Amino acid sequence: MAKIELRQIRKSYDRYVAVENLDLDIIDGEFLVMLGPSGCGKTTTLNMIAGLDYPSQGQILFDGRDVTAEPPHGRNVAMVFQSSLLYPHLTVRKNIEASLRHSKLSKAERAQRIADAARMLELEPMLDKLPSQMSGGQRQRAATAKAIVREPACFLLDEPLSALDAALRLSLRSELVNLQKRLGTTAVFVTHDQVEAMTMGDRIAVMSKGNLEQIGTPDEIYNQPASLFVATFLGSPPMNVVAGAISNGVFHAGPVAIDLAGRGIPNGPVSLGVRPQHVTVTAPDAPGAIPVTVYALEHLGRESVVIGDDATGNKLRALVDPGFHARIGDRLGIAPEAGACFFFGADGRRIAVSSSPA
Amino acid sequence: MTKRRPNFVIAMTVLIIWSLLPILWFVRMAFMNHAEIANFPPHIFPSSFNLSSFVNIFGYDYKLADGSISAASGQAGQIELGLQNSIIVSAAVTLITIIIVVPLAYVFARLDFRFKNVLLNAVLLAVAIPPVSTLIPFYTLYVQLGLVGTLPGLIIIDLTTTVPFVTWMLIGYFRNLPPIERLARIDGFSRLHTLLFLILPLARSGVAVSAIIAFLFAWNEFTFALVLVNGTPATTLPAAISGFLGQDPNPAQLAACILITIIPPALVAFFLQRHLAEMNIADPVR
Repeated sequence: MAKIELRQIRKSYDRYVAVENLDLDIIDGEFLVMLGPSGCGKTTTLNMIAGLDYPSQGQILFDGRDVTAEPPHGRNVAMVFQSSLLYPHLTVRKNIEASLRHSKLSKAERAQRIADAARMLELEPMLDKLPSQMSGGQRQRAATAKAIVREPACFLLDEPLSALDAALRLSLRSELVNLQKRLGTTAVFVTHDQVEAMTMGDRIAVMSKGNLEQIGTPDEIYNQPASLFVATFLGSPPMNVVAGAISNGVFHAGPVAIDLAGRGIPNGPVSLGVRPQHVTVTAPDAPGAIPVTVYALEHLGRESVVIGDDATGNKLRALVDPGFHARIGDRLGIAPEAGACFFFGADGRRIAVSSSPA
Repeated sequence: MTKRRPNFVIAMTVLIIWSLLPILWFVRMAFMNHAEIANFPPHIFPSSFNLSSFVNIFGYDYKLADGSISAASGQAGQIELGLQNSIIVSAAVTLITIIIVVPLAYVFARLDFRFKNVLLNAVLLAVAIPPVSTLIPFYTLYVQLGLVGTLPGLIIIDLTTTVPFVTWMLIGYFRNLPPIERLARIDGFSRLHTLLFLILPLARSGVAVSAIIAFLFAWNEFTFALVLVNGTPATTLPAAISGFLGQDPNPAQLAACILITIIPPALVAFFLQRHLAEMNIADPVR
């Protein structure tokens, strides 16, 4: 168990900067998810925590101890890799045992640890099988057993579920979180899947282009996104974004006008963001509604999503009742609820809009 | 057994005849006598399995069924030396190639370092140069160094071809292995341990095929042997056999020698065919 602190971490490869000025505190025992599109620096950051890669600048502390230059086994971390990487020519038992190579346990204690880990992950019948003789889910369990057997300071998981099919991913998601909570070990989980992030993380760190965009609980990330990037990256179906401008305290975007007077927002270009559940579908010429041409209607079962193109070709989405009918090419209006809108400045940061005029 | 389509059967038949007919031709010659070989139209099978050539090439007379004697070959001394030297040269070339190439190919395939691409291109350039083009420079160099007519000289020349070629082949194989180095570093294995005990067992098919290629090259190598060691105590089997073309023409004994020459490669290929097949699979692990 460990508290992990990243201090002003920078990682560059020649001229390419993978991670820039990253400060991150990982609380002892928490399940932190690092979320971002590919190339955002999340795996690089995980590798630096693991000791597989060393930062160009900055410090990494485990429980206050500087481990920046220490090799992986000196940090006592355990890692589960993409597609549940195992040594293909070794049995599951040998694979798990390899994790204990640097421990000073007696032979009996090792056997006990392996037996415990195997029991916890229901791997007992598989211990003498090779990874190639097991299913994807079993391999994932074996990789997890290999990680927990060391009783590490922290688990580092690099998209371990990405190669599995959807149903298996769903059940292993809760299994992993349950295991982590029972053991109480700090875990850092890297993913590009926002559903995985929302469902698994105690906190989510959203990264983009080597920068930490926001860190917070799933609730904070979803309901108080710090930037346009965070707002659009999380949520399914994704948030609608409408470009507009503030003049004299009023937001204008075509027929949409939202009065923000008295809240101290300077004039200038501003983007409006509103989630599909916070818009209403109206007639195309209704006041305050953006006229759209229906592009697609997606049935999700409990509800449906209408996707429409506005005059500039920007796609807007609205959640509607499953009984809703529309044909492609129909004209509709989409009206945002003023109270549920986010506003983002030209720099992409969210503009704080207090709920009532100051 | 699935039913084969006729096109497939025809193609396979042509392929088999194409590759096996020349072998059949000299195999039958090895068991014939002079008169039978000279016969026209040729016989497909020898009239009697006459073993005299095989005895003659090792320096012994052979008493034929009609009581006449088939005399020992004048090339026998060279053949015996050649067989012995070929075994030494091939074994040495195979062993040294593998010892050099496994770490070399591993480093190129799996690690990043400065000037990697330049060095890799240098290796690949060596593959592209036809070995014969270096024959004359090597010869003049070897005269100065006193390596003409020696086994080490021949081994060194063979290595200049096998090392780059096998490196080039193994790099591709190593690249396809799963990234277990990361796992090994988390587990605290040293780089050497990772290579010897984790990568090598995974790559055993690639290494086995590399060994076969190095062995076959050294065993079959003719051009350098002809120029550098023919007629010396360091002669190899292919060079020694060439004597049957010039000094002592004897088609039956030539055929018997060739038959003996192709036995070791055939055995090697037969016992390692499982690995050869595995090399063709994109993912070497599953």
